[in-house]
Amino acid sequence: MTDAPPTGANRIPTYCYQCVAGPDLLKVRVEDGVATEVQPNFDARDQAPSGGKVCVKAFGLIQKLYNPHRITTPMKRTNPRKGRDQDPGFVPIDWDEALDIIAGKIRQIHAEEPLDGSGYPRIAASFGGGGTPTYYMGTLPAFLGAIAPIDFGFGSGQGVKCYHSEHLYGEFWHRAFTVAPDTPECDYVLSFGFNVEASGGVCGVKRHADARDRGIRRVQIEPHLSITAACSAEWVPIRPKTDAAFLFALIHVLLHEQRQRLDLEFLKTRTGAPYLVAPNGFYLRDPETEKPLLFDLKRKRAVPFDTPDIDPALEGSFDLDGLEIGADDDRWLHRGARVTTAFGKLLDHMKPFTPLWAGRYCDVHHKIIRRIALEFLDHARVGETVEIEGRTLPYRPVAIVLGKTVNNGWGGYQCCWARTLMACLVGALEVPGGTLGTTVRLNRPATDRNLSVRPSPDGFIDYPMNPTDRDNWLAEPDVRNANRTLVPLVANSPWSQALGPTHLAWMQQQQGPEHWPQATPPDLWFVYRTNPAISFWDTNGIVDTIARFPFTVCFAYTRDETNHMADLLLPERTDLEGLQLIRIGGTKFIEQFWHYQGFALRQPVVEPEGDTRDFTWIATELARRCGVLEKYNRAINRGAAGVPLRGEHYDFSLATDRVHDVETIWDACCRAASAELTDGQEQQGLDYYREKGFRLSPFPRLKWYLTATMEDLGLRYELPYQERLFRIGTELGRRLHERGISWWDEQLEEYNPLPAMEDLPGIWEGALERNFHIDIDDYPFWLVTSRSMQYAWGGNVSIQLIREVAGNIRGHGGLVINAGKARELGLKDGDRVEIRSPLSATRGYVVTREGIRPDTLLLMGQFDHWATPLAKEFGMPSMNALTPMLLDLTDASGSGADLARVQITRLEETP
Amino acid sequence: MLVDLNRCVGCQTCTAACKQTNATAPGVQWRRVLDMESGSYPEVRRTFVPVGCMHCEDPPCADVCPTLATQQRDDGIVTIDYDLCIGCAYCIVACPYQARSRVDYPNQAYPGRPRMKHEQRTEHFERRRVAQKCTFCVDRIDYGLANGLTPGVDPDATPGCVNACIADALVFGDLEQADGRVAELLASHHHFRMHEELDTGPGLYYLTGPRS
Repeated sequence: MTDAPPTGANRIPTYCYQCVAGPDLLKVRVEDGVATEVQPNFDARDQAPSGGKVCVKAFGLIQKLYNPHRITTPMKRTNPRKGRDQDPGFVPIDWDEALDIIAGKIRQIHAEEPLDGSGYPRIAASFGGGGTPTYYMGTLPAFLGAIAPIDFGFGSGQGVKCYHSEHLYGEFWHRAFTVAPDTPECDYVLSFGFNVEASGGVCGVKRHADARDRGIRRVQIEPHLSITAACSAEWVPIRPKTDAAFLFALIHVLLHEQRQRLDLEFLKTRTGAPYLVAPNGFYLRDPETEKPLLFDLKRKRAVPFDTPDIDPALEGSFDLDGLEIGADDDRWLHRGARVTTAFGKLLDHMKPFTPLWAGRYCDVHHKIIRRIALEFLDHARVGETVEIEGRTLPYRPVAIVLGKTVNNGWGGYQCCWARTLMACLVGALEVPGGTLGTTVRLNRPATDRNLSVRPSPDGFIDYPMNPTDRDNWLAEPDVRNANRTLVPLVANSPWSQALGPTHLAWMQQQQGPEHWPQATPPDLWFVYRTNPAISFWDTNGIVDTIARFPFTVCFAYTRDETNHMADLLLPERTDLEGLQLIRIGGTKFIEQFWHYQGFALRQPVVEPEGDTRDFTWIATELARRCGVLEKYNRAINRGAAGVPLRGEHYDFSLATDRVHDVETIWDACCRAASAELTDGQEQQGLDYYREKGFRLSPFPRLKWYLTATMEDLGLRYELPYQERLFRIGTELGRRLHERGISWWDEQLEEYNPLPAMEDLPGIWEGALERNFHIDIDDYPFWLVTSRSMQYAWGGNVSIQLIREVAGNIRGHGGLVINAGKARELGLKDGDRVEIRSPLSATRGYVVTREGIRPDTLLLMGQFDHWATPLAKEFGMPSMNALTPMLLDLTDASGSGADLARVQITRLEETP
Repeated sequence: MLVDLNRCVGCQTCTAACKQTNATAPGVQWRRVLDMESGSYPEVRRTFVPVGCMHCEDPPCADVCPTLATQQRDDGIVTIDYDLCIGCAYCIVACPYQARSRVDYPNQAYPGRPRMKHEQRTEHFERRRVAQKCTFCVDRIDYGLANGLTPGVDPDATPGCVNACIADALVFGDLEQADGRVAELLASHHHFRMHEELDTGPGLYYLTGPRS
């Protein structure tokens, strides 16, 4: 080599986890102490599925670091009045004053009573972006654990802007908090609005590009031609919120036209299809062992499901004796009762849903639906196998993925069930090429899906439902969104609060439902990397609610719409300034499944800006000042910073009685991480990670799939019949009714053992007419949204670079409308329009496109800022201001869909 | 350079990487990706098309340059000598690919606020009030060739946009090298060049799919 390369002599490794599809590894070029350029980290080229690259969002990090709009010193509000129209009057203060104010409040709350009169925690905290803030907040989780209880239920989009039904039902059925095709092996993907090219991160984009090169056929079914539809073999413009009907018709074709071509062996041995269903809708059981029964064609009699050497009947009805156990341990001892296999029930259930019926409903020609069903089956290769790491597994290269909105609110259950059932019908669940789960969040350990699989007494995967029996049901909600009370499926993990009905917490601040604890605002609210005043629904209402919160502490990057109402702003060191370790590889969100697993370090690449502080320093200081240092250190030792410091062969535990500096804490974490990866053989510390950036060890591909674990444990997927959900739903209904609560009755109806088909668009139309006393015909357009790869999850709207490059993608400039429809209405590109929903109105510029249904409008991303620097000048509307929070539009899982009905009116304004 | 249209997703990572690598001013994009539609509803296709200087075999920008500031190297890369350029903008008008810009303002993302540290470090006064465009990161190519590296293979010898492309849609290399990746992909894929009818001989080839 001659001189230093033009790419720079000094390049510092770190990570980007601005979106859940990461983390991705990168390097930052530093010249004379100034960060000038983000580059891929090609040191990880051969190990990371991303090839060591980062997406467009990471390139905004340099501007994020030096943004002149940054808040770089703690600030205190001087205007006690709060509201959008109020100047907060923020004035700089020093860190001592800021931290003492917070510690004083926490000490006072703990000295009095941490729960308020309604039984809700007086301290609340909201974080954004699918858990990503955790990997920027250093040891704050340890501090929060030390000052519990905390209400994490004030959502900022969780539950309504995630893949909510998939999170709950996916994890229930196959430990699939998120679902992905086995893209490297898959040949045929049906994507119902899953926008992987915008939200699948670098792994997703690269893998799907490779798959297109291989010849994968992906059919994108959604109302507008998204980025992903553009990269697909076919776009099917379906009527909004009718995906369930399309999926039901696919199942109909497979069951009633192609039954003999299905993977009958998989259905018999790996699912609950042969379980016998008794007259009251619960399984017929052996009276002695209480095990569910199957009808064995070899022995011509009913036998427990785990009897060896059987040939269970998939179809048929039988007159049999047995025990049926219902909700609350109701019992029926049957003699010669007529029972039917679950599969037989399914056949009857799906009979009406023909492609002709669905075609009319979805506004898609029935021949297209039938053709797609047959293509799916043709590509499934039923009967083929492949060897993975010495083990023979089924090979089924077909998958179905579901996008946001398809996955949220009413219809989410039907779609998730249908998608998972489609995989079961051809044996493509959790096998090479098929539909995979990629992470768990409600079960433990979160680092290994396979280890989280435990057997249930009925032969399925066990699940930690919140109890619904009389003795153990949590009748009084412990947090304001009542997740454990209303949603048994949400379980009770650190993620459960964020997956409950998070809009319920906001709704109740305005008006609580009958027979329910009085809604109360939190006395102290922490906010980090989130902006619910922009990112949830009914944003005008949320702003009013936040303004009533007595004391809000925002860890603030710039001023924004939420921290406009804050009492304290605390400036942490941002992405390129802070120190933290993150787990990488294995299997994680979306398409993050690797051949390696390990850890990566985020480290300061330059000196920090202003009087900002590392988050771990902030957390430690708060712990000290609150008098919870010992608890805080213990939490770190247990793994609150991402890795337990003590293992079987190593112990890097911190002394619990003293303050440790930031480097000491992360050095211990680094050593424990290396030891964990090597069974205690190695213990590289912070210096190693600072230099190398990451440390990996191999991760077996066999663990991408649950099949080996399921086979080894002799377990079945609980499909198609949902006896457990039917039982808990019945019990939940009884519990609520015993307390006189009937406002959750519509949600209770969703607990069907076989999901009922409903007029899903009609639910929205009816709810809006009832609640707003409008004629739905006056609001002729469906308004939908779509992720922007440039912005999604990034919190980067104040970054000029991102704004500039995002402008190259149509839709970032305004309201997307079908070009023909626009002509019909006399609208053209750039026209200013008012977009009015039954709730409120906003304004934007017209963007005409051919790739959208004439009855649908699109607003990308989440904008409508009025306080965030730069973003407040965009003039870009958002559907969030237009979408109401309604109980009627909340499903049983506590989720709602990003969907609105609107009218548009041309305004006499020029751009 | 090859652009595989079957792989590009329009993410603009190349656009952002180029802007950072070359410290271009706000609004100036030497590399960018167009978002194009063809057909009409419901028979409509959407395609993402990376564009920039095509480094033409017969560059019209050079033909009109009154000071000979625009030149073509032996390896085909079209260059601008900022010292010779007088900023007349003839080339900007002549380029059929809208690949050239003239910038009279400093590299400052937030006007009216203090300039950011990295902006102060990357002033590029030499580019002010003259024509500018994609250089194919020629400094990297020259460095690589001088140090035994292969452009398009070794990151230190490869344009920033190609390094950054998360879909591996951009491929860089020596067109003349018969056994190279570029020649191989051209042989195995259908391809076109933009506005070929203008006879400029653009150096960007767009792959539209495998031949078989």
